[in-house]
Amino acid sequence: MTVQRLIELRGIATVLITVDPEQSAQANPPRALHPRPFVPGHSLGRPNDPALQKRILGDALALVRDAKEPGKIVSRDYGG
Amino acid sequence: MDQPELSRHCIPWTPFKGSLGDATVCIVSSAGVRKKTDPPFNTDGDSTFRVIDGAGSDLAYDDSHYDHACADRDINCIFPIDRLAEMKADGTIKGPTAKHFSYGFSMKLRELRDDTFPKLLKEIEAARPDIVVLTGG
Repeated sequence: MTVQRLIELRGIATVLITVDPEQSAQANPPRALHPRPFVPGHSLGRPNDPALQKRILGDALALVRDAKEPGKIVSRDYGG
Repeated sequence: MDQPELSRHCIPWTPFKGSLGDATVCIVSSAGVRKKTDPPFNTDGDSTFRVIDGAGSDLAYDDSHYDHACADRDINCIFPIDRLAEMKADGTIKGPTAKHFSYGFSMKLRELRDDTFPKLLKEIEAARPDIVVLTGG
């Protein structure tokens, strides 16, 4: 049982930012954002790029607000 | 009565009510992030978790599993604590929780399940977030 699933079970809405969506999918996360094309160590994009980092974080939070059903990993492109 | 184990085919779901502008947000990371004043995570395996407050400049991380080129220059690449502060300032969210949390790499799955994660969950609940954002490396 992942930490995310445990938190969601406690009545707190969660969202995962994942750069390994295949592995994350195996755990059936309640909500998840996959920011392409970033890789482990670069979950929020690029260093010292607050606009990009806030875009990714904002999109993840928007999934919490807007997602209508659990279990979808939303993959979105943020350039390279 | 013992609680049945949740099938991995079940997906827990807590609906979010209200608006992001009224929400407090907590970061929970598996990337081995900690305050610079805290002892390092053992990168060979460490079942502890750390409580995090302050700003990105107060933080360090201990890891041997992901690329460090981004996080070495800007911890917000893996732990967007400064970005949450900015989102509070511009009204996107009500604010970050006073505490965030991180754990690191561990293969001691039973210890994580029976000890670390229950304690971590209690701390997360005590922080009273409306939303938890989880990040890895």
